[in-house]
Amino acid sequence: MSEGKGGEYVVRFSPRQRLEHCAIMLLFVVLSLTGFPQKFPDYALSRALSDAAGGVQVLRFLHRGAGLMLLALSLAHFAWLIAGLAARRLPLSMLPTRKDFEDAVITLRYYLRLDSKPARFDRYDYRQKFEYWGLVIGNLVMLGTGLVLMFPILATRYLPGELVPVAKVAHGNEGLMAFLVVIIWHVFNAHLAPDIFPFNTTIFTGKISKQRLLRDHPLEYERLFPPGQLEPAPTEPPKAAPVRDG
Amino acid sequence: MRAARGWWCALTLLLAPWARPEDDEVETCLGCHEDASLEMALADGATRPLLVDRRALAGSVHAELRCTDCHPELAEIPHPERRWKDAAEFQAGMQQACQTCHLTNYRHHLDSVHHRVLEAGGFAPGCVDCHGSHAVTRAAEPRSRISDTCAACHSEVAETYAGSVHGRALGGENAGDVPVCTDCHRSHDIVNPRQAGFLLRTPEQCGRCHSDPERMQKYGLSTDVLRTYLSDFHGTTASLSQRTARGEGRVTAVCVDCHGVHDIAKVDDSESRVLKANLVKTCRNCHPDASESFPAAWLSHFEPSWEKAPLVYVVKLFYRVFIPFVIGGLLLQILLQLWRVVVNR
Repeated sequence: MSEGKGGEYVVRFSPRQRLEHCAIMLLFVVLSLTGFPQKFPDYALSRALSDAAGGVQVLRFLHRGAGLMLLALSLAHFAWLIAGLAARRLPLSMLPTRKDFEDAVITLRYYLRLDSKPARFDRYDYRQKFEYWGLVIGNLVMLGTGLVLMFPILATRYLPGELVPVAKVAHGNEGLMAFLVVIIWHVFNAHLAPDIFPFNTTIFTGKISKQRLLRDHPLEYERLFPPGQLEPAPTEPPKAAPVRDG
Repeated sequence: MRAARGWWCALTLLLAPWARPEDDEVETCLGCHEDASLEMALADGATRPLLVDRRALAGSVHAELRCTDCHPELAEIPHPERRWKDAAEFQAGMQQACQTCHLTNYRHHLDSVHHRVLEAGGFAPGCVDCHGSHAVTRAAEPRSRISDTCAACHSEVAETYAGSVHGRALGGENAGDVPVCTDCHRSHDIVNPRQAGFLLRTPEQCGRCHSDPERMQKYGLSTDVLRTYLSDFHGTTASLSQRTARGEGRVTAVCVDCHGVHDIAKVDDSESRVLKANLVKTCRNCHPDASESFPAAWLSHFEPSWEKAPLVYVVKLFYRVFIPFVIGGLLLQILLQLWRVVVNR
């Protein structure tokens, strides 16, 4: 996974991971555009979106279709994780550790000029882990409540009726929060942050320059290119699981 | 006989300058038209009486008008011959006169479902069927008169309405608080009530009174009904479908689908469709597989609170705190990062 080419960049993401990102990005846009008018039907923008789609029924059809695709994508992702775990080939680099909390504190202290040096990150920094796990948990909430809202008759056969309005409140608010996190936090970190601007292309090309790897993930860099060694270490980091769906 | 009458009328007209012209004209016309036996043959073999009731005319809102204001084509005596096909054509012809003064309402009527039925050759009322011809008086005085007017044709609906919570109040001192036919259906531009566009405007119609605090307080009714409806699933569908819905039929449940149309009862009436005991049955009109716990999915126009729907309330409250906390935290970190970048320079 980490073969250098001409010593200038490192392959960071597999084609499957890049495809997953593209899929979730597209689904996120569709779900936001079709979900927003349903949560805020009084806005002129909502009416415009609804009319452009050809009515709220079409809007809902698109929203549910995209939701089901997101469900399929999530199931595929977890199937891949479980298969990787079973084969003991899953890199556990995305799991939160004690160091992530320490890194967050160091980063804040650095911003506040209480520390002179920023935190040194490994393969994923604490913000990336926050986004990944936020997405996982948010997805669970959105898919669970979405299914209740999509099949209220079926749901109330087994669950108390009040859970339907609970699901509606949770779905709308969780969706709004996800939208705001992506618009503010993800777009800042992937595009607008001063050392990233205008565009961090790594998730699309799969490649990260060695220079940027050293700056943003120094611990991973040192593992890949131990000081005094010119070629990357042959065993580190663990290869991605062989299960590939994309 | 006809000719003799004509000469007599002509003579009276010659002497006209000495009298007040209106009075004189009316008198001239009544000279013939007070005769109950005066009638006109229609092409389909029917006859049309040409009697004008002097007292009705004098008591009408048009008492000050001259006959020829509405019947300009009859100024000449003897009147020019005109052969009307049938009663409907005669009435349509006579009604042309109304637009001279009442153009807006006349045009509205041309857009109405009544006019469409007329055009298709059916029977439907024109101006004079509701307002009267020579005895035109104010249509909405008293208010209950409107219902009576419509009841002339729509007797079954009128009877149902008379038994509803609205209809029962119409005879009493609070008649001004309840809707009569025209409040929901309008008066001149009456649309087909099965049209999706009309049905989708129901929340707005009912909401006009049911969000009015003054009127609702009198009866101890909540003014939240419209807002809570609109913020729920059906309401969102209704408001977003208003401009795209076409044709006839129900798009989503609006007020009348649960509460009834002309037979609306008090919500605590044992007959009410929205009484808890009857609610599943009402839901099943659209959701045939609804289980007993399905109606609880609807919060009965209540805002979620500790007392009503505590779980919904708690989740709502959670996000009201959690979203600003998360977004605020992220924004703060972004600002701190930018600040440090500036400081480093």
